[in-house]
This record gives sequence, structure tokens and C-alpha cells, in this order.
Amino acid sequence: MQRRQITLEDGRYLIFYTFDEETNASPESDEEAGARAADSGRRAEPEAEPQATEERRV
Amino acid sequence: MGEWVATATHRQTRTFLPPADFCPLCPTKPGGFPTEIPEPTYDIVAFENRFPSLQPEPPAPAVEASELYPVRPGIGVCEVLVYTPHHDSTLAREPVEQIHKLVEVWTDRFRALSAHDFVEYVFIFENKGEAIGVTLHHPHGQIYAYPFIPPRIERELEQSRAHQRETGRCLLCDILSNEQTDGRRIVAENDSFAAYVPFFARYPYEVHIASTRHLQALTDLGDAERRDLAALLKTVLAAYDKLFDLSFPYMMVLHQRPTDDGGDDYDYYHLHIEFYPPLRTATKLKYLAGSESGAGMFINDTLAEEKAAELRAHVAPVVWQTNRAAGEKSGEEADVD
Repeated sequence: MQRRQITLEDGRYLIFYTFDEETNASPESDEEAGARAADSGRRAEPEAEPQATEERRV
Repeated sequence: MGEWVATATHRQTRTFLPPADFCPLCPTKPGGFPTEIPEPTYDIVAFENRFPSLQPEPPAPAVEASELYPVRPGIGVCEVLVYTPHHDSTLAREPVEQIHKLVEVWTDRFRALSAHDFVEYVFIFENKGEAIGVTLHHPHGQIYAYPFIPPRIERELEQSRAHQRETGRCLLCDILSNEQTDGRRIVAENDSFAAYVPFFARYPYEVHIASTRHLQALTDLGDAERRDLAALLKTVLAAYDKLFDLSFPYMMVLHQRPTDDGGDDYDYYHLHIEFYPPLRTATKLKYLAGSESGAGMFINDTLAEEKAAELRAHVAPVVWQTNRAAGEKSGEEADVD
């Protein structure tokens, strides 16, 4: 990991981080995310009515 | 109340949900709108917030202090971390390699900000989604370097200290051991981290990620642990998005030891990440209403065991495109139990 720091016009710092090994992987598109969701098995069941009233100590 | 409140009136005029063409966190394209980042591309960027709540050289307070109302300059640092140049992405959609890079940047910023004499606590977090109140959609997180230990962390420290005094053990190590033995609230785990809906969840889909090794900060992690943390973050974030087929809003906060030494090494504390999603169904929000805001007692309308099972059903293997250990493309799948 490399750091390159610059100073912006108003005096704030900004640091660019770069990395030795780059990946060609890119973010998922809307379509990919949707397809993955569709392939992911069962959807969450509709939320059941609350059946418990209790205190759980944090 | 013994708590500080930051007054930062200049933040009233900060940029609010600009159109994508005028996103201040995108790269500055040649001949285009000058953004905060004056280069045509980048990988990950950290910079001082243009609208900070705390500043290294703060102005004098606008009002005078009194015996009843103490006032002091808002010293500290507020940084913005931009995760990717891709405006329409989210951390959940980024490849695990990018999340791994982010873990490395988090670690570097924690180390760098800890070096300030006036900083006692470095708080890394992300607010995601309009339901949380974000003002910019571009994927980014924030860091607040506070001049004191914030109250929520102070409470955790007190409880952790008391538990160790009474039992001789780490509180979070005991919680983690209990969760792994019980299994009902575990969402996913790998060699170095476990993700679970805590027994005492305040939000329906609250998830904590804790290191299996007793560590206090990101700077204690080894290479394999940073990689495992990235993989488990990807797992949890992807499961969140799949849960309701939408980009899941959340607050993500990193809880680490304080950065002041003060004669305490905080060995009784344990590194972990907490997610507080505001959704209780695909269309309903969990509000912090009277009991939560006025009394500090959360009412959770769901059972942690059921919510963990829902999330567990959406856990999928994480695929690395680059095998860093071997330095070659691999398509390797990370272990997710």
C-alpha cells in the first residue's frame, strides 16, 4: 500500500491510497446484484408477529 | 449528563443529495465539474471533511462557558474515506479485494490519527442509505477522531473491565464462545472472525463481527486476519442486500480500544464491528422513539434467533479474483461456515 498526500486549495489534506496488486474485478451491476439475489435461495419469510416479550440484558 | 455535544453550525449548509453529475466524491474528469478529488481516477482516498464537526485547529467557541455550562473548542479530526471511484457502487457490491484494501486503509488511518496528542478515540463508521440520513450517495465512510472517549465506548469499557475483574475473562470472548457453542444467532464465520446477531440485539437485523483472537484494534491484525475480515464483511453486506432484494441501509461502526495510553492498555477490551440497520421489514423502519430516545431502552419487535436464520439463508461464498498469497488470479472461494 502506498500513500500520496496532497494539500487542497483550502489547506485540507487529501491522501491517495494505491496498492501493489490490482484486481480487474469491478463492482456488481444492478443486473448482477439482482440475478445473484434471485439465485440465492429462499426469500426471507414474511415477518411473523412478535411472540415474545422479554428483557435481554445488554 | 456528563456528555459533550458538538455544535457545528456551518454543517447546515453542507452539500445535500446532489445529482450524480455534481457528486463531490467522484473523480474530477478533464474539463468537468471540479470535485473534492482533483484527479481523473483513484483507488481509495482519505481527506479532511470540508464540513467538520471537529477540527485540529478549531475556532474559539461562539458562546462563553459558565459554571453550569462548560464550553471548549471542538478539537479533533473528521475525515472522509471514499471507497471507490464508482459513483453507483456500494461497499456490498465492491469486490472483496476492494474491501480488503479498505481494511488496510482503516488500519493506516487508525494508526495515523492515534498519533495526535489531542486524540483519545478514533471512531471509524459508515452511514449508508437515505433512511440513515446520508447526504451523499457515493460509497464512502467517515472517521471522527475525538478528544475524549465517547459515552457508548466508555460504557463498553466499563462493562468489559467489570467482567474481567469478576471472572478473569474478556466479556466479548465469552460472548463469542457462547454464540459459537449455541449457533442459533451465528450468521457466518471464518478462521478469524464470526458474524452474529447478538443475543441483546437492539435492531432486528443488528449484526456484530468480532475477531476470534483476543485483539484490541485493527493494528493488531495479521495479514490473514485482515483478509478474513474483508471476506466476512463482504458476506454480511451481500446477505443484507439479498434479504429484501434492495440496497440495505445501515450504520456500520468499528469499536476499538481508545488511543490515549493514560496508563491503561485496554487489554480487557475486544475489537469488533457493529451494524445497526434501520429496517425491520422491507418497507418498515425501526424508529428510535420514546423509550429508545428518552429512556435509553430499546424495544426489539423480533427475536435475534429468527433474524439470524433469515440472514444465514442468504450467505454465499466469497470469491476472490486475486489470490494475494500466490499473487495470481484464482477464483478462490473463502471458507464460510
